[in-house]
Parts: sequence; C-alpha cells; structure tokens
Amino acid sequence: MVKIVTDSLSDITSDIAQGLGITVVPLTVLFGHEAYLDRVTITTDEFYRRLINGSVWPTTTQPTPKAFADVYDKLAEQTDEILVITLSSKMSGTYQSATGGKSLATKKCRVEVIDSQTVAMGLGLVVLATAKKAQNGAKLNELTDFVHHALERSHLIIYFDTLKYLAKGGRIGKASNLLGSLLSVKPLATVKDGEITPITRVRSFAAGMDHIYNSVAAFPSVEALAVEHTTNPTEADKMTDRLGAIVPKESIRRSTVSPVIGVYAGPGALAVTVLEGEKK
Amino acid sequence: MARGEDMKAAETISGQQLRDMLATATNWLEKSSTEIDALNVFPVPDGDTGTNMLLTMRSSIEEAYRAPDSSASAVAQAVAKGALMGARGNSGVILSQICHGLAFGLRKKESFSAIDLADALKQASVSAYKGISNPVEGTILTVMKDAAAAAEEKVNDGVTSLVEVMEAAVNAAAESVANTPNLLPVLRKSGVVDAGGQGLYTILDGVLRYLRGEAEQMQFRKPQLVASSLPQQGRVQTPTRVDETPYGYCTEFMLQGEKLDSDVMRSRLQKKGQSLIVVGDDTTVRVHIHTNNPGSIVSYAAKLGTMHQISIRNMDEQYQDFLEMQKERGVDVETGTVAVVAGDGLSDVFTSLGVAAIVPGGQTMNPSTKEILQAVKSVPAEKIFILPNNKNVVLTAQQVHSLTDKHVEVIPTETIPQGIAALLAFDYEADFETNAKLMTEAKDRVKTIEITRAVRSAQLNNLKIRKKQVIGLLNGELLAAGAEPREVLDKILGKLDLKDAEIVTVYYGTDTAADEAERVSTGIRDQYPNLQVEVVRGGQPHYNYIVSVE
Repeated sequence: MVKIVTDSLSDITSDIAQGLGITVVPLTVLFGHEAYLDRVTITTDEFYRRLINGSVWPTTTQPTPKAFADVYDKLAEQTDEILVITLSSKMSGTYQSATGGKSLATKKCRVEVIDSQTVAMGLGLVVLATAKKAQNGAKLNELTDFVHHALERSHLIIYFDTLKYLAKGGRIGKASNLLGSLLSVKPLATVKDGEITPITRVRSFAAGMDHIYNSVAAFPSVEALAVEHTTNPTEADKMTDRLGAIVPKESIRRSTVSPVIGVYAGPGALAVTVLEGEKK
Repeated sequence: MARGEDMKAAETISGQQLRDMLATATNWLEKSSTEIDALNVFPVPDGDTGTNMLLTMRSSIEEAYRAPDSSASAVAQAVAKGALMGARGNSGVILSQICHGLAFGLRKKESFSAIDLADALKQASVSAYKGISNPVEGTILTVMKDAAAAAEEKVNDGVTSLVEVMEAAVNAAAESVANTPNLLPVLRKSGVVDAGGQGLYTILDGVLRYLRGEAEQMQFRKPQLVASSLPQQGRVQTPTRVDETPYGYCTEFMLQGEKLDSDVMRSRLQKKGQSLIVVGDDTTVRVHIHTNNPGSIVSYAAKLGTMHQISIRNMDEQYQDFLEMQKERGVDVETGTVAVVAGDGLSDVFTSLGVAAIVPGGQTMNPSTKEILQAVKSVPAEKIFILPNNKNVVLTAQQVHSLTDKHVEVIPTETIPQGIAALLAFDYEADFETNAKLMTEAKDRVKTIEITRAVRSAQLNNLKIRKKQVIGLLNGELLAAGAEPREVLDKILGKLDLKDAEIVTVYYGTDTAADEAERVSTGIRDQYPNLQVEVVRGGQPHYNYIVSVE
C-alpha cells in the first residue's frame, strides 16, 4: 500500500492521521530560542495564548530534510511507494526539505513529492481523500494524478480578523492590497498559485461569515467541507451548523489552524475549505 | 527626551549633532526610498530616484565620520565631499549640490544657530540651481527653493528656535512637493508628485524630527508621502511616456584632476544630451548626462583627468524594468475606480481602500463631466468604475461613457457611505460585470444619515424648518430637525431599526470638533451596546456628520 506523508500545516489532527495511516511531519515553532514541534510539543491553545499575550514574536521553520529522510526510512519497512504532499512551496521550504530528504534516505523506496500550492485544510482535505484512495489499493501513479486534480477542486476561503500578523510575518503575498485601510475592514482571502490572494473586504465578522457561506453555497456540487479556526471555536461551531444545510453536518471536518499558520493568520481567523465534487 | 531638552537650551547644533541629524534623516529616507522610486517619472521614468538619493546620503554620512574635527564646518565639508563622491543619478547629483551649498553656508562655524541654518538652506538652494544647465521647476530644485525661502522668512520675523525655523521649511517643502504636478506636465499626466522633491522633503522632515528629539520614535514610524494637490491620486500610477524618442544612456562618472573647470565642461557638454549636470571643485567634478552617444562624452572627459565610478546605463531598459517593478508592486492595470469626494479625511478613506483617482466635489460643488473625464483618463486602467457619491453628480458621471474609449461603469452611489460600501464589495476574483453588480447591490445595503444645516426656511415632511437650523436626512430624505447635531442624530437613530445593524461609522466634518464627535459616538455606544461604532475624521464641508449604518 502507498504510504501518504504530509506536513503539520495540513491541519490533520493525529487521531485522524492514525486512522488513515497518514504520517504528519511537524514544522517547528520558535518563541525566541524555545523550539516546539507543531502540535507535538506545543498545543494549539498554548500557542495562541502566547501569540496574543507574549512579548516574543514567534517564527517558524520547516522540517529538516533529515526529518523527512527518517520518515521515508521508517515507512520503507512497510512499503516501497511513498507519496508526500506538502504545503505551498511559496510559503515554506518544506517542499524543498521533503525533496531533499529523498537523497538522504538510506532504504530503497520510491518517493514522490507534490507541492500542493495551498495550505491548511485546502491541503488537508486533499490529503484525506488521497489516503482513502490509497487504502482502497490505488497505485502511486494513479494517486499522483488524483492529487493534481483534487487540488484544483480544493478551495480555501479565509476570514482574517486582522492582517497584522500576516504582514508582520512577511507572508502577505498579494493580499497586501488589503492593507492600510483607514476604516476597520476585515479581509477575505484565498490561496491562489501558492500565495495568499485577496478576495474582498467586509466591514464585520457577520458579513464575512455570510460571504463565506454564500461562496460555499454557490458551488454546484460539494464533496467535502472543512471548518477551522484559530481562537474562536464557538463561531466555528456556528459556521459548521450553518453549512449543515449544504452537506451533512457530521461529515464536516473540524480543525484548528496549525500554530504555524496561526503565526500569520492571527487570532480570530476562520477558514472554510470546499472540496468541489468531481466534474462529470 | 534628554537630547531634545538639551537642544532647546543650547539652540545651536554642533558638528557631531549635525552628523547625527543627517544620519537620522538618511534612515528616514531609507524607509520610503522604494516608494519614492515608484514615483519617478522625470526626467526619465526609470524608478531609481529614492535609491539614488539614499546612496548619495549614505556616502555623505560615511565621509562625515572622517571629518578632521567635530566643528559644524568640518562635518558639513565632509558631508559635501561624501555626497559628491557618492552621487548617483540626477537627483543624487543635485542633492550633492545642496550639500555643497549647506557646507558653504556653514563655513567657519564651530556650531550653528537657527539663523545660520536659514542661511545655509538658502546657500543650498542657490547651489542646487547652479550645477544645472537648464533648471526645470516642479522638481527637487523648486522644493529646495521654497523650503529655504520659508526658513528665511521665519528668521526675518525674529524667530530663533531651530525647531520653528525647520518646521517652516518642512511645511513649505510639503506644499511645494504637492504643487509639483502643477508646474511639471509630465507629473500631472502620470498623476504623481516629483520623486526628487519628495525625497528632499523626507530628508528635511527627518532633520526636523531629529531636532524635535524624536529620533527614537522614528524607528517605529514611516515617512508620509506627500499627495499631489491636483488631481488627487490614490495609487502610484504607471507613468505615461511623453513621446517615443529613446531615452538613450544615463552616463555618469567622477573626474579627478587639477584645475578642472566645471563651467567650461558644462558648456562643452551642453549640446551632447539632456539632463546635464556638472558639479564639483577644481580637483573633483561629477558629471551626469542623458545622451545617445556616451562614447563622445567619455573620450572628452578622459583628456581632462582620471575617470572614476563610470556608469553607463541603458535607460530604455531601465524604463522596462521600472514597468515590471510597477507590475510586481500589484498596481492593477486592469480595473480602476474614480470617486467624487469632498473632504480630505474622506479622500484618505477612499484612497486607503484603493480608489485610483479622486475628483474633489460633492453637494455644493458638483464637478463637471470634464473633471471626471480627466480623472478617468488619468487612471492607467481600461475598465473604470465611477462612484459619484451624490445624487446630483450621478448624471454628470454618466456622461463620461460617451466621451472615452475606456469601459466605464457608473455605480449610482448617492451618498458617501454608499460609495464606501460599493468600494468594499469589489471582488478581486470577479470580472468587471460581476463587480458592477456586487457593488450596486452593496450600496443598497447601507443606510446613510446626514446631519447638516438648512440653507433656507421651509416646511417639509411635516417639519417646520428655520434657516440654518440643524436638519437630519436619512438616505437623502429629510427626517428630523433640531437645535444640536447630536440631538438630530439621536432622533434619526431612534427611528431606525438597529436590530440587524452591526456597524455604525461616524464621519465628522470640518465644522465638528474631534472630541464632540467622540462624545456623540460614546453616546451611541452606550445606547446601543451591540453596535460597533467607529469614528473617522471626514473633513467634509457643510455636513457635521455623515453616518453609515450597516
């Protein structure tokens, strides 16, 4: 069976990863000299508490090629085909590490690495769908094709309560258009060609949620949905309830945005990912 | 801060302070040098003015540390020498001339006072004009001249405070920068202010801030770019080329020798190209020229002395790079928005939300079709949305359709809040037609309250109104009258169903004090705790308050 590997920015929680046999390689969060493995040695709650209240500005680093090589070697004991799907190479060097890890691996095994050009559940939903295919016995070539098409069907919509963190972290991408307003406006953005790209601006949280809901409702068919947040579980619950009108509520993946993205998304952010149904 | 207090007591500046002052100003310039690059359209839109000025300043600061002693005169001499050695580009060379003039003004001074400063600025202005064969107004030259004149006037009024004199110079420089498009057509056409003038303003502003003792706070701030006075432009525009003649080569070098004569060189090189600058003394001369034949310039100069820091750059290539840079900066070349707005605060709000050009006007001064057309033409985009923001302007705006080849769509916004709502609804992913629909829908979702005074007595909607009485309109409909703006606003809010409302934005006008506006908004917050209330200075005439309810 092909083994699926991704990074912690896919926002796939460990229980789900275990269930589907997915290996999640963590990125590192640094508060000054204190280093934490994303979701392994720092919880999401702890992270956001420090982000908002702490004086040290956190930074993040990609996993080392060695970390990937170790994963490849370990998985090579069970399989001879590995598929790695990483977050956008324009946001992090993780893709490079995953590729570099291939030459460091000592055991013989075929490893394919795909740059998803997206992040968060935009990546996560694709990884989950791919892992299911792998469990059903799909071969590596089949899976890489599937991933490329599925990424085209994956649409991430992010509501930022503030762009302060994104700008500060230097990851603002084309969303810089949304900065510098004299009114308090809330930006909505997506990830396009691997970068955060503006969609529009709204004046309030509620208007932002309406915009997200209407965007999701406008898709002719929806295969899967994910709702994730940085610091507001209650609002994420409400959004999930609301989206229950489009797909069964229980099927909606709930997650928190990885601290590594949280560094940029900031508190109060909420994201919905749509995995569009396959076009017939 | 201790430094500021010391300075007030002494009111003179030592050589060491002069160096710190210019170093602070250089750091200040650095923070906006790339934005200044983007303004650059004259004499050639190659987008390097800010960088060139910065490199010139840096070179002068480095040299300042090598001054033989710490007198103001020695440091200023070193600054001038460093600037000359490191001058890059047109504006850099002129800047070096300015430094040269400053040093001349400060000669033999151990330290200098406000009066000395004014004199040095004047010398700087004279020197700036000197190096150039055909000075053009509406550039860094004009800005230097205006700043120096303002400083001189202050001193003549008997002012001896360095801060006050410098304040006058900086304010004059800001006005002068804003006015550059009126003097130089290519700036007007491109909708920008002069980049070199902007750079000089930023340096002077940095000096002023140092004098005020703000050096530390400056690390966390950024210089403001001066906005053009006419027409107001929101975004940095892609410059239009004046004609299709090639720009040729920007040729620069430093010549070292003996008994060099700048005047003779200048007259010899005069006919060989444009933007000629020859500056320096009898041992070091810096030459800058735009020419189609750099070879002839170089061979002439080589006979006079040794050449250093020779740079010959193809400006047509630079221009292409500049266009690329503009593209990368995310200047949207496809769709632009023009808005009719009265009031500087409101103009800033529209600009900050991405409006490309603003036509001043509103209730009592309706702009002409021609003015709107000009703004439409000034925006480097083929598809234009117009936000008239006033009932009486909608028709005028619609005339623009037939007068331009551009694809123009008027979103019939009748109030400022409608205009802002429409602007915000712009969807970066959607096409023009979809956006027109989204923006039109958005304008109808916002409620507008306007508080103003009656121009005449009347009886309307069962209300008896005296002339000059405070009246309130809801979506253009007269709804209430009273003695005080606050009272009338409350009456209208009381008539609204605020259950579904989320945000109230209060834009207060020129006739209204900021603390009064704060009191009004606190009142609204207290009465409707579920609402988010925002107060913004609109600076609009006639209307005490324009309020949007969303």
